[in-house]
Amino acid sequence: MIHIQNLKKSFRTEEVETLALNNVNLKVEDGEFAAIMGPSGCGKSTLLNIIGMLDNPTEGSYKFAGHEVGGLKERQRTELRKGNLGFVFQSFNLIDELTVFENVELPLIYLKESKSSRREKVMKVLERMKIAHREKHFPHQLSGGQQQRVAIARAVVTNPKLILADEPTGNLDSKNGIEVMNLLTELNQEGTTIVMVTHSDRDSHYAHRVINLFDGQIVTESQNRAVGAMM
Amino acid sequence: MFKNYLKIAWRNLIKSKGYSAINIGGLALGMAVTLLIGLWVVDELSYNSYFKHKDKIAQVYQSQTFNGNTGTGPAIPRPLEKALRDGYGDNFKHLIMASWTNDLYLKYNETNLSRSGNYMQREGPELLELEIIKGEKDGLREVNSIMLSKSTADALFGGDDPIGKTVRVSNEHDLMVTAVYEDIPVNNTFNDTDYIIPWEQYLASREWVRNAEDQWGNNSFQIFVKLADNANMETVSQKIRNVKKDLNEDTAEFNPQIFLFPMNEWYLHGNFENGKQVGGRIKYVWLFGIIGAFVLLLACINFMNLSTARSEKRAKEVGIRKSIGSQRRQLINQFLSESFLVVVFAFIIASLIVLLSLNGFNELSRKEISFPWNSGIFWLSSLIFILITALVAGSYPALYLSSFRPVDVLKGTFKAGKYAGLPRKILVVLQFTVSVAFIIGTVIVMQQINHAKNRPVGYDKEGLIQVPTFSQDFTGKYDLMRSEFLNSNAVVEMSSSSSPTTRIWSNRGGFTWEGKPEGFQEDLAWTEVSAEYAKSLNLKIVEGRDFSRDFASDSLAVLINQTAKKYLGMENPIGKLLKDDDEEDPNPPLKIIGVVEDMITQSPYEPVKQGVYVFDRFDNSSYYNLRLNPNQSASQNIAIVERVFKEHFPDIPFNYDFVDSEYGEKFAAEERIGTLSGIFTALAILISCLGLFGLTSFVAEQRTKEIGVRKVLGATTFNVWNMLSKDFLKLVIISCFIAIPISYYIMNGWLQDYPYRVIMEWWIFVLAVVGALAITILTVSFQAIKAANANPVNSLRTE
Repeated sequence: MIHIQNLKKSFRTEEVETLALNNVNLKVEDGEFAAIMGPSGCGKSTLLNIIGMLDNPTEGSYKFAGHEVGGLKERQRTELRKGNLGFVFQSFNLIDELTVFENVELPLIYLKESKSSRREKVMKVLERMKIAHREKHFPHQLSGGQQQRVAIARAVVTNPKLILADEPTGNLDSKNGIEVMNLLTELNQEGTTIVMVTHSDRDSHYAHRVINLFDGQIVTESQNRAVGAMM
Repeated sequence: MFKNYLKIAWRNLIKSKGYSAINIGGLALGMAVTLLIGLWVVDELSYNSYFKHKDKIAQVYQSQTFNGNTGTGPAIPRPLEKALRDGYGDNFKHLIMASWTNDLYLKYNETNLSRSGNYMQREGPELLELEIIKGEKDGLREVNSIMLSKSTADALFGGDDPIGKTVRVSNEHDLMVTAVYEDIPVNNTFNDTDYIIPWEQYLASREWVRNAEDQWGNNSFQIFVKLADNANMETVSQKIRNVKKDLNEDTAEFNPQIFLFPMNEWYLHGNFENGKQVGGRIKYVWLFGIIGAFVLLLACINFMNLSTARSEKRAKEVGIRKSIGSQRRQLINQFLSESFLVVVFAFIIASLIVLLSLNGFNELSRKEISFPWNSGIFWLSSLIFILITALVAGSYPALYLSSFRPVDVLKGTFKAGKYAGLPRKILVVLQFTVSVAFIIGTVIVMQQINHAKNRPVGYDKEGLIQVPTFSQDFTGKYDLMRSEFLNSNAVVEMSSSSSPTTRIWSNRGGFTWEGKPEGFQEDLAWTEVSAEYAKSLNLKIVEGRDFSRDFASDSLAVLINQTAKKYLGMENPIGKLLKDDDEEDPNPPLKIIGVVEDMITQSPYEPVKQGVYVFDRFDNSSYYNLRLNPNQSASQNIAIVERVFKEHFPDIPFNYDFVDSEYGEKFAAEERIGTLSGIFTALAILISCLGLFGLTSFVAEQRTKEIGVRKVLGATTFNVWNMLSKDFLKLVIISCFIAIPISYYIMNGWLQDYPYRVIMEWWIFVLAVVGALAITILTVSFQAIKAANANPVNSLRTE
């Protein structure tokens, strides 16, 4: 699904140029669950943003499902993102002014789905995330764990091929963290590819493969034998 | 999707009530001003819309040149009618002669009214497209007929059918009502035509009118035309240009140019200077149109500034929407929908403001504008107005907010760049530039009005009333009435005159005098007065003497004003003669016996015109001028004067005007502009301050932590206030530097229209700068001091 070759990303300010990613090569297969780890500032989030097509690489190639997406314009990236990718963020990133239902409904609106189809899909995913009873609540009326379940619901409501999770348990206590990881694992078992950035060793154990980044380069890659050991 | 946008917009409005109130309130004020001005402009532009074929109706105008100065006006000589009919008749569907609009007394049974109207030729009512309610369309067929407007007929006859009834007109002749026509609505020329009397009656009853049949030099009449279907206004106008010059040698030296002045242009483009059309009221339409647009722009700027200032709060939402599939175009649409919603709310409030203030506005602007509930065009224009405002106010925030990159904003650490605030600063500068320019403009308008008001009038207008005497009943009764009024103890002096104290009704030339330069074409303001004119007005004699009843020869004497003394080039005018230059049948020469101080009779902004005051030997006045007894109240005096008047003229209504209020009317147009621009300036400043208030509170909120840290480190309230205020003060100072030269240039141009004008002094500009800074400090200080006095512990905890 993801094929990255010799990828570089640099940030230029008025005085200095910082190389955030340097010669990254990475393949993620369909149905895989990959975790990216590394210390702060090593380029994890930058890599995830490029994989999520929120940002373009400076150099190198990035193929998503066989299509080169490295040099696409924002408009084209948005089109490709729509329905194919779901995002889960550390800080949940729900829209404060929308209710639970409306937050989850939003990607479907952008896909121009009918009202009845949206209602059906949103309720189905909310029930699955065990948050349907909160559909009319606003984000600030929910606990952190509940907010992240809503965020996951929003990420999966379009049935995307790939979910990108950026420290999904970073703002949660351990109980809620485990719940979220179990949800992601379930989704993966149903066929969704997941790429997750994490600081947490515990969370990384849910992944099939752990990719370690350091100073913008992949330094090690390791396979997890006992996937779902923490379940 | 749109519903979703509106939902978010609504919830954002509710969430930030303060900002929403400033945004919607400011916009509503701006829109209300623009709506009011819009209604006023439409009213101005729709003047004369009663006349369905106004593009075919015109008045015949004439330009003549005296001593190199070309004057243009509607006064034309009688023989021109025949010349136009004989030579160019094919071009006109109707061509009618008419008198000036005159006040006449109309009496039926015991009801006695003073009404204005005209003598017109037979086709007049058809040319004016009058709607006949009763009687015959051809109502001017018989010489002894009269047509009345509905309101006049109602006032005169009550419920009786007026057709066939006889009206006594100015106690001179009896005319039969042949038709009643629908009143011509306000906002139309001829609105004050309450009656129409056949032209033949004018000829029959006025010898001077009959005599004018061949007088090319007697410009005392009007001609209106309606063009034939195939005729073109411009072409016909060109054809008739030299008709007078070609037919009359005597007046050819004045180069008379005859042309058609289309009805479409009467109201808004009625000014001529040196023979050229130079606009007119249209300049006020432009002026207020521009003011309206600017006030709205100020309110839109508030919206832009507050929306973009709060961008950090919306950045996360933009990032999320983009990450889950929103295109930039969709986000632009979303933000435009939000501004649309705000503008719709503002429009509703603006409409309420307009409804509540319309009466006051009408009073100020002397209009009868009503809220156009039933007009489809109004609602369509309002929709376009809302859309344009939403677009102007919302486009910059929409483009700005939708440009955020999700990568930058989703981490929650988004901070706007170093230059992100620059457009906001530019917009604040623009706002205050407009406000400061408005302040300067208003102060100068007010100053100019006061300058003209304080100008010496030349006579004492307090306690002076003028009573119209538009009937031959008054002829020969001046002496009797004077002694009656003086004996009544209500009047201390009285005179009569052929025109009101505040106007010039007649101008004459055709004189010779000793030392008159060769080819000099004089034009003198001409007023016939009784012997006591100067005394009753307290008009100062500066040379020679006043009229005296002791000298029989004074019946051929004149007083001249100081300007006339210079104009006629007379070092020692006393005793000099003004002779009639008609060699065949000259009037007797007039002897100058005195020079009076210049008195303002026309515009207080213009130099006084050269004038002569001729002894009225035929006792044929138009006004009695009564100096009331200062030892009694005005109401007591008036009651006595009325009683005396009624004893002698029971069939004539008693009307009077106070000269000082008549004089005050001369300032009405400028005072209206002054008051309106004062109000609009105040609103413009209020709107700008609202925006500044919002921005300050935003900056204070944004810098809460910094303020906390500074306070912990020892900053005083003044330090914090200074830190928050100085940025805004700098912007306002920049605005002043831009506004001063612009407003100087514009106001200098405006003042050029007034020969008697105020000098723009430096302190006006200093005052505007000080005022703007004071307003800024007041506005900014509220939030700045609030932020400075907050407990630093609380502000540090917010991070």
